[in-house]
Amino acid sequence: MQKKESIALLNILREIQKRYNHLPEKEIKKLSKKTNIPLVKIYETASFYSMFSFKRKGRNTIRLCNSPSCYINGSLNILKEIKRILKIDINQTTKDKKYSLELTSCIGCCDKAPAIMLNNELIGNITKAKLRKLLK
Amino acid sequence: MKILQKSELKAWKKAKKLGPKKTIQLLKKQGLTGRGGACFLTGLKWELVKNAKGNKFIICNADEGEPGTFKDKLLLEKNPENIIEGILIAAYCINTKQAYIYLRGEYNYLKDSLKKTIEETLTASRSSLKIDIIQGAGAYICGDETAIIASIENKRGYPHFKPPYPPQKGLFGKPTVINNVETLANVPLAIINKDWNDSLRLFSISGNVSKPRVYEIKVGTKLGKIALLAKAKNIKAVCFGASGGCIPYNSNSIINAEHICKEEAMLGACSLIFINKKKSMLDLAINIAQFFNHESCGKCTPCREGNTHILKLLEKIKSGKAKQEDIELLEKLSITIRDTALCGLGQSCTNHILTALNHFKKDFKVR
Repeated sequence: MQKKESIALLNILREIQKRYNHLPEKEIKKLSKKTNIPLVKIYETASFYSMFSFKRKGRNTIRLCNSPSCYINGSLNILKEIKRILKIDINQTTKDKKYSLELTSCIGCCDKAPAIMLNNELIGNITKAKLRKLLK
Repeated sequence: MKILQKSELKAWKKAKKLGPKKTIQLLKKQGLTGRGGACFLTGLKWELVKNAKGNKFIICNADEGEPGTFKDKLLLEKNPENIIEGILIAAYCINTKQAYIYLRGEYNYLKDSLKKTIEETLTASRSSLKIDIIQGAGAYICGDETAIIASIENKRGYPHFKPPYPPQKGLFGKPTVINNVETLANVPLAIINKDWNDSLRLFSISGNVSKPRVYEIKVGTKLGKIALLAKAKNIKAVCFGASGGCIPYNSNSIINAEHICKEEAMLGACSLIFINKKKSMLDLAINIAQFFNHESCGKCTPCREGNTHILKLLEKIKSGKAKQEDIELLEKLSITIRDTALCGLGQSCTNHILTALNHFKKDFKVR
């Protein structure tokens, strides 16, 4: 057993989320056993952070920034276009499980507004044309 | 930009020669203040922890989440060497072997390059310091220093009431120094450059401007000059992030903490979002209220419940069904949240409404 102070729970949860596109119960139970952190504690922590989910998401997550700089540079038009192309609403996943759509707080791309995060990648100066190419 | 100058461990070597006490003295003399927004003297913060006995820690706050702020991202990309050197010097001064960098989840793409820089810098400096990167996972509140501690302790990112302050009782209950990325990047430069100047800051400029980017500007510069640099036209207001509130555009406004304070706004981390005349401050208020409604951690009642009602009231005004009494309620509620919330987020989350009601009442129409 590792010393509790040396376990970086957020880093581990992030790896699990990345591998399975969510936090599966089985993996959380395994983690609890391995680290000796009670299951309920892991859930308590994980449920606080917006990048973790217990429901399975699409293979790719699109996070559209809707904070002030992006908002005043037309993020809602981009949202409309994403919804039109993928035929899903915010917090939904496409039928083929390829994409999930979320709104996010500022991602630090205010100099390239409007911006999105596609999985780990920050993509700025997004236009409808760029979006159509990206989501083809 | 001066901040992009690389110290290449010159400051580290100088600090080793001077010793912890004199290095801290030098930083105090240079007047280096925290860049996170609170402007506390960095040397003084280190001194408080240096004098404490037993285990202690350093946390580099790279959880840059304030809307409109992207200066730390620039430093993490362009000058991570100085940030790591700053951490090294801090660790040497307060005498610790363990440091953490709390990197926001959205900046995960920087993790590998940061790791590499850590390894290279530690090898070159022959330091035995351990620097771990903890990745955030999308929680604005974790930029708060007490919430960052909870998060590194594997807990929900709840802030707690201060005092005790982190230098007294921080990570795992031990004295802890928490410094912003920009502060730490400045440490080596303040040590090696005699002409280093604390008033030179990184400003994140965005919004309705043609040249949005990070500018290195002296605090005290006139707003008109900044607007000219960023090519801002037909501006009616400037927002200081989401939590700093807004002021009406006036080219003669002096951008420093004191002057902005007079307008009841907060300069914070020097993020200026320019808003042009086509925009309604009510729409913007709704956008910012949605942000706080989402990011309120839910620990204290004024912020958790208050922000829900703030959003409802703003939407009522937008729908055209609001009466004068709704505006009065909005103002009263904003003041109550500001005065009674537990942490910095709650205490500042209605600044944008109070300042907008003060300066742009016309945008908030009632029946």
